[in-house]
Amino acid sequence: MNKSDLPMHCMKVKTAYSILINSEGTTTPYIGLANTNLPECPSVDLDPSALRRERALQWRRRRELRELPAEAPRKRQINGEERRARVAQQFSLVLFLLRQHTRGLASCRPLAPSTAPSKARSPHASSDPRACAAPSPHSASCGGPDAQRRNRAGRFESVAVVGGRGFSPVPALSRSISAFFSRYFWCFYLNPLGLEFDYICRMRVQLSKKIINIGEIRRLASQGIPDGAGIRSTVWKLLLGYLPNNREFWAQELDKKRAQYNDFKEEFLVNPSEIARRFEDSTGHENEELESGDCGFLMRSKITHDEHPLSLGKASVWNQFFQDTEVIEQIDRDVKRTHPDMHFFCGESSLAKSNQEALRHILIIFAKLNPGIRYVQGMNEILAPLFYVFKNDPDQNNAAYAEADAFFCFVELLSGFRDNFCQKLDNSVVGIRSTITKLSELLKKHDGELWRHLEITTKVNPQFYAFRWITLLLTQEFNFADSLHIWDTLLSDPEGPQETLLRVCCAMLILVRRRLLAGDFTSNLKLLQNYPSTNISHLLYVANKLRGSSAG
Amino acid sequence: MVLVLAIGDLHIPHRAPDLPAKFKSMLVPGKIQHILCTGNLCIKEVHDYLKSLCPDLHITRGEYDEDVRYPENKTLTIGQFKLGLCHGHQIIPWGDLDSLAMLQRQLDVDILVTGHTHQFKAYKHEGGVVINPGSATGAYSSITYDVNPSFVLMDIDGLRVVVYVYELIDGEVKVDKIDFKKTATTQSTH
Repeated sequence: MNKSDLPMHCMKVKTAYSILINSEGTTTPYIGLANTNLPECPSVDLDPSALRRERALQWRRRRELRELPAEAPRKRQINGEERRARVAQQFSLVLFLLRQHTRGLASCRPLAPSTAPSKARSPHASSDPRACAAPSPHSASCGGPDAQRRNRAGRFESVAVVGGRGFSPVPALSRSISAFFSRYFWCFYLNPLGLEFDYICRMRVQLSKKIINIGEIRRLASQGIPDGAGIRSTVWKLLLGYLPNNREFWAQELDKKRAQYNDFKEEFLVNPSEIARRFEDSTGHENEELESGDCGFLMRSKITHDEHPLSLGKASVWNQFFQDTEVIEQIDRDVKRTHPDMHFFCGESSLAKSNQEALRHILIIFAKLNPGIRYVQGMNEILAPLFYVFKNDPDQNNAAYAEADAFFCFVELLSGFRDNFCQKLDNSVVGIRSTITKLSELLKKHDGELWRHLEITTKVNPQFYAFRWITLLLTQEFNFADSLHIWDTLLSDPEGPQETLLRVCCAMLILVRRRLLAGDFTSNLKLLQNYPSTNISHLLYVANKLRGSSAG
Repeated sequence: MVLVLAIGDLHIPHRAPDLPAKFKSMLVPGKIQHILCTGNLCIKEVHDYLKSLCPDLHITRGEYDEDVRYPENKTLTIGQFKLGLCHGHQIIPWGDLDSLAMLQRQLDVDILVTGHTHQFKAYKHEGGVVINPGSATGAYSSITYDVNPSFVLMDIDGLRVVVYVYELIDGEVKVDKIDFKKTATTQSTH
């Protein structure tokens, strides 16, 4: 590509780009990223002929859009293994972008006419290379974040995943392709918030509608909600069905639920002597409270219904209280152990203590409301992300009621998964064993070789690793931020979290298949029980790919 | 919500073989936070049994106790209340309320727990409250043979105490309760 081929505005970009190259003193295009430690993108082993086909398709498309010469300018010859790996990485990137692109096109819809696009554009003045690059058709191949204006009708697709979402930009692309990509890709790395900003705008538009379109919210949320935006709290509440679709009803619904939670607290968290006192006060017992100064024998009064602390009666408040003490002790222990590395949950600060108190209350009330299942170790792990997200809601009013909201959303989320916690149902059709079997079947369908190796050759029983994956919804396998991202996808999938979870677990297995196939029982088990940190977007992409081909 | 058990004058094995079965079935570990024992257990096995109910055990020496190391009086603070413990054979006349009031003022406590008379009593005077849990086994006393087994459980909750009296009358456990509050400006040191 010659300089002269590029339109004028792209020259500006190039200048900016080269300035930065000089200041850094390196020659790689990904200046900003050269310093970061990116997780190695695990390779997806694609069939080479499929790769070639995809590549041809891609180049053909680009040619259609008058972008590039017909030939991919790939000159460097490197050894086969490395080459395959690089190509695979590149194409996973490209396929992902293409997918977004085509998906965007398919569901392209005009937004509320002037507000959204102008909102997106206004903070980025003319210096925004995106805006400059708008007329250029190059952008489409970049997987067109909003810059693609193929029809310039004010429509844009926010394929906002390319930006600062932690998507690995494929280290070490070959020079020429990278030079091509970098012009536009690079702009968005310079301006990651810009990309996210569009996504956030889009989401906010959806959230501000009177009747919320849950399908649209699901679709947007499945791309991953940016962390800083403060919309995750509202989106999760919508996805879990806590907030109704109609915005007008939000306030009254929230009030109702919060009042209900307060009633629960009154009912369940009060200790028996308090209950006895209230009962007395309510029955207007004017107790013989002798004035100070009066002497005499204290009057004895009868007690009602055998309500004394040592009572062994089933209906006695005291007896129930002491029986609940075991459960409460277990809850206490688990709450203290939740996420010990996070200051939000653990430590001496009053914030941590109040958060632990809140978790404790929620779990106690849940245990008392559900005598069949009570409390099982692990429920605190499922509750923790919910509470964290709701408590960090930028809206102060919502954050103050985070406990009540988290309780109801926890109940909702657990309603699908409670069978995993019930020991009696372990061996039944709905229990954890059958879920693990389903995962096994899924793996067998998608990757028979790996399945055979795991189950038969190395005899790694899926129960050893999948149990924790499934019951705790992957909170223990990844760091907190990553697990929030995974939960975005889990909660937003129309198939339901159970099915999605199985697909994600299957994807986790497939991503490390090379190491698994090379390992024996010990090393495989060790690997799966300490799953290596990986690129979450890539993982979710692979999980999504498994969707189409699975028959249910 | 602190549960304090006041019990005493068991006289095991001299005058009674064991606690009544109904009492034993009610006294299970894990419910009670403190035990105040007025004395006259008399042997170490009973001490160990009480220790198994609750690790926080306070005992004062009765005249028939075989362990000489128990103190004569004991005071402790639970919540907002100061409690005093004494067997009562040292206070003459035995069971005389004025003399007990004198001891209470000496110890400067809100609630004084004594025994020796083997009769349940709960008495309030301007210095505070005196509680006598009676004999938990129903052992005969120096004064009388007609003794009902009884003990006392106090539920201390802030400034309020609910005293549950457990008595074994005609083979049945009868429970009564007594309520009293401590006023904030109370019991100045005499």
